[in-house]
Amino acid sequence: MDLTFSPEQESIRDAVRGVLADRIPPPRARAELAPDPDLWREAAALGWFGLGLPEDVGGAGYGLPEETVLFAELGRSLAAGPWLGTVLATHALAAVPARREKLASVVGGRTRVAVVDDPADGLGDAIRPGGTVRGVADGDGADVFLVLGERRVRWVPARGSGVRVVVRESLDPTRRVVDASFTDAAAEQLGAEADSLRRIALVLVAAEALGIAERTLEASVAHAKTREQFGRPIGSFQAVKHRCADMAVRTEVARSLVTFAAVALRDLEPEASRHAQQAKVLATSAALANGHDNVQNHGGMGFTWEADAHLFLKRAWLLEHAFGTRTAHLEALAAPWRAG
Amino acid sequence: MEIRFSAAEEAFRTDARAWLEANVPRDRRPVGADLAALRDYDLAWQQRMFEGGWAGVSWPREYGGRGASLMEQVIWYEEYARAGAPEVTTTFVGLNHAGPTLIACGSEEQKAFHLPRILRGDVVWCQGFSEPNAGSDLASLQTRAVIEGEELVVSGQKIWTSFGNVAEFQELLVRTDPEAPRHRGISWVICAMDSPGIDIRPIKTLTGDQHFCEVFYDGVRIPLRNVVGRLNDGWRVAMATLGFERGTAFLSEQIRLARRVEDLAALARSVPGPRGGRAIDDDELARRLALGRAEVDAMRAMTYRSVSLAVRTGVPGAEASVIRLFFSELVQRIDVLALDILGPAAVERRAEGPGARWADAYLGGLSQTIGGGTKDIQRNIIGERMLGLPR
Repeated sequence: MDLTFSPEQESIRDAVRGVLADRIPPPRARAELAPDPDLWREAAALGWFGLGLPEDVGGAGYGLPEETVLFAELGRSLAAGPWLGTVLATHALAAVPARREKLASVVGGRTRVAVVDDPADGLGDAIRPGGTVRGVADGDGADVFLVLGERRVRWVPARGSGVRVVVRESLDPTRRVVDASFTDAAAEQLGAEADSLRRIALVLVAAEALGIAERTLEASVAHAKTREQFGRPIGSFQAVKHRCADMAVRTEVARSLVTFAAVALRDLEPEASRHAQQAKVLATSAALANGHDNVQNHGGMGFTWEADAHLFLKRAWLLEHAFGTRTAHLEALAAPWRAG
Repeated sequence: MEIRFSAAEEAFRTDARAWLEANVPRDRRPVGADLAALRDYDLAWQQRMFEGGWAGVSWPREYGGRGASLMEQVIWYEEYARAGAPEVTTTFVGLNHAGPTLIACGSEEQKAFHLPRILRGDVVWCQGFSEPNAGSDLASLQTRAVIEGEELVVSGQKIWTSFGNVAEFQELLVRTDPEAPRHRGISWVICAMDSPGIDIRPIKTLTGDQHFCEVFYDGVRIPLRNVVGRLNDGWRVAMATLGFERGTAFLSEQIRLARRVEDLAALARSVPGPRGGRAIDDDELARRLALGRAEVDAMRAMTYRSVSLAVRTGVPGAEASVIRLFFSELVQRIDVLALDILGPAAVERRAEGPGARWADAYLGGLSQTIGGGTKDIQRNIIGERMLGLPR
């Protein structure tokens, strides 16, 4: 039993944090909508996309826990781009020896993949999808859509025949979404299991939310230590101090459960699926509540466009709506009790 | 990162489970007003654990304990809760406060006399820290002790002393130097509860039970050799004591809580819901139950993370206060959920039926965010010691 970061995991975290800090200074995180091609190349060169893959298929030989370290950092820095779909695609492709060329291209940063979650087969259950999906995150910069149906996993080239992409603004100015329409679109099926990819996605989205919870806690604490009113730092007032303490509790809850779920899923523990859903619920709750409190803690400045506080809260809302809301997951988690 | 236990730890678990299965008392623990019966029951159980080699799992071997590693302690308390072993209440202060404090700060004479008695289940200890005017602000305590020859003469009042009326000894904080800065004039002493001049009065709590006491001291004579640590160094000793309180014994709580959520789910399948059907068919109640279980699982993960951090660094981290606060409020959320699931049965006081059990749990749970440092104090601790916010 050990839920602490190993020295290796700490060095992954520090390395990722360093690169993201260099590449995405806070103002740029706001202005830069499209994924930065240099960052993407560097990420590929550093092996970020293959962190969780075995070494014999070009990965780093780590697992989901290390991938959550990466995604927490992406959340902290509000990185733009189809990171989630790209990492999921490596897992989908690694399962099939015949897809090694595609895999190498994704791991090498030459193919970007946005994920379309379609658990009720709204796009039909044929190999070639048909229909429209709204609000696909980071769909504008993607070369391929990875469509997760109820069971099928499909690889749909974004610029192939029968695919139309309309870029929409989203609540989050740092992450664009698209409406993707498929009309008998060219597609191939990958031999991966949609549900197992969805479980990985839940943990990675939860990790990104954890990053938001961490970062907003740190921002609030830093502000509360330096901002003075009534002749003293506002962090000395219990109303502010206790709000920060609650942010710390939520962050610790999220961190513990995300870590636990990642290891449980890596080790194929029987309850891993439940923990993945729980991690998604509690980590997005932490991101939303901390994002909200961080706006509050910054007072008038927190309400401005210029301050970063709103960006974390808005990203948290996008994460809440990725791969199922809290309401949906809690009902699914309660379903076994309600049966019979 | 690893969420499995090692082979040696699993072997320890097997041993603990087997022993508990064979030895956990079958007869029910006495409840209600008869504290003497409760004391006898708990001490008999303590003696049984002692004879089986399971008394004081966290205590070092040289003092008769099991000397279990932190992770083994986690396993022991998990198995303890899983086996439905008696809750640790009357023996809590001896095993988890006074004993560890004596081991850390006591004289050889104090250790030799008291530690075996605590482990064997000969005695009950109680706490004498809080006073009517020294609650969250413990350092403002006023109970005086004046040195006369080889004795301290104590006068004053303590309050919230659980099981004070069935205890032999008390860990007592007294002011031995009224001139010193308030943290520096306090001493931690061992007080025999049968000393002349002690008057113990039970306090009825909002649950209706009487295990709380207030204790009055009128010229109570305590030998100077009963001071633990140095004279006037009692604040430091007391902080060590409270550090042990948040130790591993607390870990079994998450197991009990997990079981309560499962019991609550079963209850929700059997009682009517607010709009017909069963309670579990109500979407909001069902979601709150699922959230409750998620939070209990989070509590377990936090516990494991905290223990593995302590194993790695050698010292308990600040997350202990986070876990304590989260746990206390989680218990109360689950208690409220229970009453919401029960519906009208929540306010009936009938011996049969589930209402009384859950209502009593709810009422008792109100103390979770008061005892051992209120939730407001816990938030101060998190804000100041963990986040570094100014006082």
